[in-house]
Amino acid sequence: MTLQDWLKLGGIAIVVVGLALRLRTTIVVVAAAFATGLAAGLPLFSGDGRTGLIDMLGKAFADNRLVTLFIITLPAIGLAEKHGLQIRAGEFIRKLRAATAGRLQITYQLFRIVHGVIGIRLNGHPSFVRPLVYPMSIGAAAKQMRAKNPESLPSEVSESIKAAAAAGENYGNFYGQNLSPVQAGVLLVYGTMLGLGVEIRLWDLVIYTTPIVAFSVLIAAVQFLRLDRRIRSRCAKS
Amino acid sequence: MTKIVEAVFSLDAVYALTGAVLVVFAVLTIRDREHPRRLATGLFWLLLGAIFLFGSLMPYWVTGLLVLVMVALDGAGRVTRSSKTEDAPQFAANEARRLGDRIFLPVLFIPIATFAAAGVFLMLGRDVGRGALVGLGFGGAAALLAGMRLTGASLHRAMQAGRRINETMGSVNILPQLLASLGVVFTAAGVGQLIASGVVAIVPADNLFLMVLANCFGMALFTIVMGNSFAAFPVIVTGVLVPLILKPMGADPATSAMAAILTLTAGSSGTLMTPMAANFNIVPAALLDLRDQYGVIKFQLPFALTIWSLHVVLMWLLIR
Repeated sequence: MTLQDWLKLGGIAIVVVGLALRLRTTIVVVAAAFATGLAAGLPLFSGDGRTGLIDMLGKAFADNRLVTLFIITLPAIGLAEKHGLQIRAGEFIRKLRAATAGRLQITYQLFRIVHGVIGIRLNGHPSFVRPLVYPMSIGAAAKQMRAKNPESLPSEVSESIKAAAAAGENYGNFYGQNLSPVQAGVLLVYGTMLGLGVEIRLWDLVIYTTPIVAFSVLIAAVQFLRLDRRIRSRCAKS
Repeated sequence: MTKIVEAVFSLDAVYALTGAVLVVFAVLTIRDREHPRRLATGLFWLLLGAIFLFGSLMPYWVTGLLVLVMVALDGAGRVTRSSKTEDAPQFAANEARRLGDRIFLPVLFIPIATFAAAGVFLMLGRDVGRGALVGLGFGGAAALLAGMRLTGASLHRAMQAGRRINETMGSVNILPQLLASLGVVFTAAGVGQLIASGVVAIVPADNLFLMVLANCFGMALFTIVMGNSFAAFPVIVTGVLVPLILKPMGADPATSAMAAILTLTAGSSGTLMTPMAANFNIVPAALLDLRDQYGVIKFQLPFALTIWSLHVVLMWLLIR
């Protein structure tokens, strides 16, 4: 590797060190982009038929606005929460005797896999997890621990439920989306392989991803049921 | 006529709506006397709103400079939340009793509109994923109107409620877009080829198991660096999977398909482990107000390592 190659990897080093030191992530990311971009000899602004670093930054930022679209749902969700959404979600789940925090995550993950099969790709954290799944899980845990209300749950329990609810969304989304031949991931694989001159069939991709989807459900179920066990043992202690 | 319908139900229309919401958030922040950094924080969200409104029209270098200003504001610690106190919890409890399960209706509008728009796009033979995004945008607006009607709250109150969540999440909200930019720069600089060639230099070419291991490891590693398995996939497949595994053994189409899709999901294990995938790991932690910014990643780590190992074993067994 040449010296220039090593300098290009400087961006990765900046990210690793910056995140480890818990510096402001936005600054770390931009610093890394400048370090790698300048090491590769990119100009700051476009000209002479070459794309500049700042132009690249602006274009990618504008092109990826769709990942930040969820902001449009915040007023509706915030309003509903002020008017008792999370309380009702918790009360609703307390009525279901079989509901536990862990089983809810399993159910939600399966629900997200169905989204994948239908061909819908969305990030469910703002539209499902925060307004519904999380308060329901807290409600279920409160029932499991016979706590009077969700606020009286020990914080380590509510924190691990938050993490589990966010993870369940990712598990269902990442692996479920490949079960449809119209999803971006499968199409990317198909297009890339054909571009490299490797003959494959679109449906084979869907078929061969099913074992991994099955494993993802099983491994996650183990994790979520262990969460239930932790909640139960916490309950026995107190 | 169809032109008008298409313009209304386009991504740009949804971006404009989101931009308008952000501008309102910014104005509310600037007018908030109890906000410790109301001008700088307001400016930050105003700039993001402007990028949402005009991002498709402005020259890219202008957007790039606006992004740098936003990052500078955040870097100086000027993007904070309001110190205004939350409503008494008693209010929400009373409202929960008054409204009952009807409070679910506005929130359910969001997924219903998402599905409906995706369905319409599907019937018209358009991109379903884009339809879902358009539905998400209009669902958010419909949910807002339904919520105001149901609760009798004003638009101002609803916007304040939305602004509170947005400010609590803070600058984390722009990380996914920022990381996408970093990914583009990494790609332009050829960082992927460097990683692929580094992996190849270490691994002996005649050992299939080590090659499969290197393929899955390179994919996960590059995804951890880029925060995006879709960006890593072409690089790893071009650098490792096709030239070093599939081509030498003359793999048939079924084996190739299996190895290719397993390579992609080996990358998903990387996505679960990295703060660079901010929209999946860091933004949700902020959205749920987790105390530990890395709490979601820590929970996912054992899952990710287990399923990644399964990828290696499965691919090796099926190729052999």
